[in-house]
Amino acid sequence: MTTVIIAVVVGLVLVVAVVAMAGGRRRPAPDDIASFRRQIDALSPEARRQTSDRMKPSERAASGDDGVDDT
Amino acid sequence: MARDLAIDLGTANTLVYMKGRGIVLNEPSVIALNRQTGEVLATGREAWQMIGRTPGYIVAVRPLRGGAITDFEITERMIRLLLQRVGVSRFTRPKVVICVPSAITEVERRAVTDAARRAGAADANLIEQPMAAAIGADLPIDEPVGNMVIDIGGGTSETAVISLGGIVALEAVRVGSFDIDAAIQNYVRREHGIAIGERTAEEIKVAIGSADPTPDENQAEVRGRDLMTGLPKTVLLTPEEVRYAIEDVVSSIVASVIRCLSKAPPELSQDFLVRGMYLVGGGGLLRGLAERIERETEVPVKMSNVPLEAVVLGAGHVIEHYEALKGMFMGARR
Repeated sequence: MTTVIIAVVVGLVLVVAVVAMAGGRRRPAPDDIASFRRQIDALSPEARRQTSDRMKPSERAASGDDGVDDT
Repeated sequence: MARDLAIDLGTANTLVYMKGRGIVLNEPSVIALNRQTGEVLATGREAWQMIGRTPGYIVAVRPLRGGAITDFEITERMIRLLLQRVGVSRFTRPKVVICVPSAITEVERRAVTDAARRAGAADANLIEQPMAAAIGADLPIDEPVGNMVIDIGGGTSETAVISLGGIVALEAVRVGSFDIDAAIQNYVRREHGIAIGERTAEEIKVAIGSADPTPDENQAEVRGRDLMTGLPKTVLLTPEEVRYAIEDVVSSIVASVIRCLSKAPPELSQDFLVRGMYLVGGGGLLRGLAERIERETEVPVKMSNVPLEAVVLGAGHVIEHYEALKGMFMGARR
């Protein structure tokens, strides 16, 4: 009886391990693709336009106008 | 809540970009200290004006050399003062992205992030200067094409090939515009027998320095101290002499660009012929340098529209899109 229970438990553990391994192999792709896509989108010219437009505070500082550093 | 910051901690100048506001500080990376008490007397432009003109008890120093921290404690104090000037206090602790040379060692990397954290940053991450420069110079690094950027700073010159948001090839040398100034200082001392300071050497470089002959060349009067008599003396310096003086430094920069070109995969190499290479950084403003690199590599060289601000603008863009771009930090998975 004990032998049968041990065999069943070992069998269950093996099944769980196989299922977990198979799931683990399938899972990472969507996350990696999404994060790479987000990175590439954030580097697009459209995304960068706003940052380039923020050159203006420096130009003001260079011309003698007060910037944050003087406040 | 503090606004997050991007810092271009350069050997020559430090620029700070504040999230949502743009560049809020642009100052020389210099700090003046009382030698006896260790007290900070001035930072930035005010301290820069003191270089070589201080009494014995004051020392005006650049805490970074060759893009690396030479004095950890002074750098930390300088960063703390810079952060205070842009409104960071012990109650407002921002996230900070700092641009550093790509050839930085693990120890130097830790020194920079530790200095920023101790100075008040909640979190400090590093990004390679050429990568930040490429973003700031508006190169299409999101596309699968070869983008080449040459960043010539005060203490380092870095050339990188970037495609699809990652560095494909990189070449860095710890040589920059301060080495050009030092070469001029040495030449004038050796050939004319007069001693000049680093600020005078820089003025000579800006006035008549060039890497290749240019159409409008003039001589310059140089004033210094006669090494024999100890008296003030004036000599005339020609652009040819300055070119000769700085030749080794210029050759070293050009050679590193050539090495980087040779490391690039062939598919990307052909893009450079059409798209050209982009020059950023204060050292890139040396007259004739773009022409010299173009002549020796046979690849077109273009000057960025924002050569001095490209690096901090790129890091600023990363801080604006922190979550999406945190994979670009040094040490993060690419």
